Amino acid sequence: MVDYYSAPKKPIQVEIFPQKLLMPDTAEELLNSIDKVTGVLRMMIQGSGLPMRVSCGPGIGTPIDRSDRRIINVSGQAFELNIRVGRIRVELEDKSAKEPLREAVENSLPIPFEFREGFFFRKKASLTDYAKYGFKSREDESINIEDERLLGLIDPKADPKDRICMLESNE
Amino acid sequence: MAYKPQYYPGSTSVAENRRKHMSNNVEKLREVSDEDLTAMLGHRAPGSDYPSTHPPLAEMGEPDCPVRQMVTPTPGTAAGDRVRYVQWADSMYNAPSVPYWRSYHAAINHRGVDPGTLSGRQVVEARERDMEACAKEQVETEMTCPGLAGLRGATVHGHSCRLQEDGVMFDMLDRRRLEGDVIIQDKDQVGVPLDRKVNMGKPMSEAEAAKRTTFYRIDNVAFRDDKEVIEWMQRVWELRTLYGYQPHD
Repeated sequence: MVDYYSAPKKPIQVEIFPQKLLMPDTAEELLNSIDKVTGVLRMMIQGSGLPMRVSCGPGIGTPIDRSDRRIINVSGQAFELNIRVGRIRVELEDKSAKEPLREAVENSLPIPFEFREGFFFRKKASLTDYAKYGFKSREDESINIEDERLLGLIDPKADPKDRICMLESNE
Repeated sequence: MAYKPQYYPGSTSVAENRRKHMSNNVEKLREVSDEDLTAMLGHRAPGSDYPSTHPPLAEMGEPDCPVRQMVTPTPGTAAGDRVRYVQWADSMYNAPSVPYWRSYHAAINHRGVDPGTLSGRQVVEARERDMEACAKEQVETEMTCPGLAGLRGATVHGHSCRLQEDGVMFDMLDRRRLEGDVIIQDKDQVGVPLDRKVNMGKPMSEAEAAKRTTFYRIDNVAFRDDKEVIEWMQRVWELRTLYGYQPHD
């Protein structure tokens, strides 16, 4: 990944939508190959959750001991993959990184996928973000958040602790 | 000449499969023992007696009623069984059965059942042994592919998700999974672990599922491919709209 703040201000966003839900091994390989593409600023994975416990019904609270909820390693950073990956959104520093990204995905995904450019996660703070984080001060009305890359990556009401993973830049 | 019911119009494979499900002319594809089925349903311990909610009808001294004399009670009712359910989720990716067709199958071919049809799941409530008979029929025949359908009492989420890479419908509670080339279920309908692994057999291949499905899909057999079905649907909808409206009165 490249340094977000030194990137030119015309980034593009791309969505990769595989035809099937990815098992952890494939997801790990895919995320690593995306990360190796020059010009990736940030990425988001989305999919159906793999809960630890039964959350409703007569079996509520029963542990779900599943082997496919496991720790994966992306660019040397380990995190628990607690979803079945169904969609990957990537922000690139500019259009020149789009084709290398497509090639990387083609090489690591064994199944067909959709690859589309669009606007998927926001770059500016929304009203909800201001409600959550507030202003920096009375004088400075910019949003009170340390890292603006977090904006639009997760649900504003969610706890970012176990949902955000920072990958170190090589540069 | 004896009356022969005509269940569904159309000449496509989907229409033919729908007729098969409704008339119960379905092929048996796998064997699931009674004990395994009872375990998967999770309402009582396998091998135990059926708990009852009232004494057997024969001991109850029923009132003198012409309807009761005409209608033979189902085995579950006669024994006083509890009412219990079986619930299915069928993947939209060419699962053999559509929720409505599970309901038609149950309502046409079984007595004393209360089928409930929802967008992604289908439930049958009945006296316990009647429900088990219905569930056994559905689980062992071509109405079910273990990879594309599942017994799900809770958290039915998955029917409209894309299939997993291994071709199996996503299951949030991991009740069953592909182990080798067969589907193994080791939890009951609501996600409580079982003391056994139930072998549900091989899932259908993509081609076989496409052949046996009752889903109309644009990438397989589209609804509009079948002119006879369209004609009858339009007729049903027209009559339904007009209902009892008689402009000449």
